Amino acid sequence: MVNGYAPISLREALELMAAHKLTPYAGGTDLMIEEKREDSFLFLHKIPELKQVSDDGEYIRFGAACTFTELLEHSLTPALLKEALSRIAAPAIRDEGTIGGNIANGSAKADSALIFFVADAQLKLAGAGGERLLPIKDFYLGRKRLDRRPDELLVEVLLPKKWLGSYYYQKIGARKALAISRLSFAGLLTIEDGKIAHCATAFGAVSDVIIRRADIDAMLIGKTPAEGKAAKAAYLAAFNEAIIPIRGRVSAEYRKTVCLNLLGDFLERFGI
Amino acid sequence: MDDAIVFTLNGKQVRYAGSATARLLDVLREDYRLTGVKCGCREGECGACSVILDGRLANSCMVAMGRVDGGTVTTIEGYRETARFKALDEAYASVAAVQCGYCIPGMVLASECILAKNPHPSEAEIRVGISGNLCRCTGYNAIVKAIGIAAKEGEGLW
Ligand SMILES: Cc1cc2nc3c(=O)[nH]c(=O)nc-3n(C[C@H](O)[C@H](O)[C@H](O)COP(=O)(O)OP(=O)(O)OC[C@H]3O[C@@H](n4cnc5c(N)ncnc54)[C@H](O)[C@@H]3O)c2cc1C
Ligand code: FES
Ligand code: FES
Repeated sequence: MVNGYAPISLREALELMAAHKLTPYAGGTDLMIEEKREDSFLFLHKIPELKQVSDDGEYIRFGAACTFTELLEHSLTPALLKEALSRIAAPAIRDEGTIGGNIANGSAKADSALIFFVADAQLKLAGAGGERLLPIKDFYLGRKRLDRRPDELLVEVLLPKKWLGSYYYQKIGARKALAISRLSFAGLLTIEDGKIAHCATAFGAVSDVIIRRADIDAMLIGKTPAEGKAAKAAYLAAFNEAIIPIRGRVSAEYRKTVCLNLLGDFLERFGI
Repeated sequence: MDDAIVFTLNGKQVRYAGSATARLLDVLREDYRLTGVKCGCREGECGACSVILDGRLANSCMVAMGRVDGGTVTTIEGYRETARFKALDEAYASVAAVQCGYCIPGMVLASECILAKNPHPSEAEIRVGISGNLCRCTGYNAIVKAIGIAAKEGEGLW
């Protein structure tokens, strides 16, 4: 085809990526917004390796070109991810938009990426030099800057299963069906044997990159809920320092206040 | 880069020799003269350009031609030939759900996708199903009602 390739295997796709300057095209729902499209596209829709979903015991492994609708319909998709996916745009966007495109677009507003952040998901990238695995947090270098070489494709998202059961999720958008989230928050918290065994939080659409500060969340881990309550003020103060909002459609101060309110509400839900 | 893009358009196999980066919306309107596909925003926000791509609703302004290679595209012109269309058409008419008509081709294809997935949708499910299709005239209630009527009157079609 003219100005594009539609390979039918991952191997063929990687060979093409190594040989030409190509822009991967998954669902096009971010790419097609831009009026100027100078590069040729590498279409991903015919590559079976990018469409698989499996459970290896430790991780649920999602092919990067799975669409939101496909994952909403899949029995292996955890409830938290389904909740976030069901709040994305409208059916036609969910039918084409993919998790790989959501992540590789590099936006801090990406709703599925937020869930992969809070769960400390790993990304599998493949290129001419072979495969590598990296934590999603390390993939984002800054605003729209990603650790992806031009010949690399995002192949798979590995979602750790362990702490996903007990969660809190909020998305505050403008118009319901359409809005790219103005602000979103996800938290995981598990209490085992009277102690906080796990606590993880992620803030979307507030900064250049989704905020995930495991070092701050660690302040609560190992504590009883009562001890957690005592440490709450210091915990909230640490996030107050850590959240540096960007100026967007909603004022920076408003964004930050909402973030801290959601964080407080999250802890309260778990009796902290 | 030689072979054309081959896909099924309204039941017929076609070959498109133009650019893989062209918008499906523009190609349908300009090359195939399928002007039932409307353009309202070119940003995925309004649903006027809706088509059915591989059995699911898609905004054709958000789709590059290379994506349809090997696939199936149905526009309102193709869908008009079906019994399901007739059921929807009658239902829309019975409650006067059409005013200016600009949103209607997309709305009808969205209705088809709702019913194909779930022949007995609740009102809430219908509203979710058409949530990406904006209508500036009707206020949606008549359209939601029409889809419910089509589900009942067209029992067995979906
Ligand atoms: C009307 C509308 C509403 C929207 N609402 C939301 C919303 O509520 N929440 C939200 O999060 N997003 C929203 N979006 C944005 C968009 O739909 C998502 O970000 C979607 O996940 C993008 O996926 P895609 O497959 O369409 O990406 P594409 O447009 O195909 O690609 C996006 C970027 O990722 C790259 N890429 C894609 N796949 C790969 C891969 N496997 N390897 C390497 N690079 C890759 C592409 O080259 C491109 O740079 C909305 C968009 C529109 C038009
Ligand atoms: S023209 Fe495609 S969604 Fe509006
Ligand atoms: S009838 Fe006019 S836009 Fe819907």
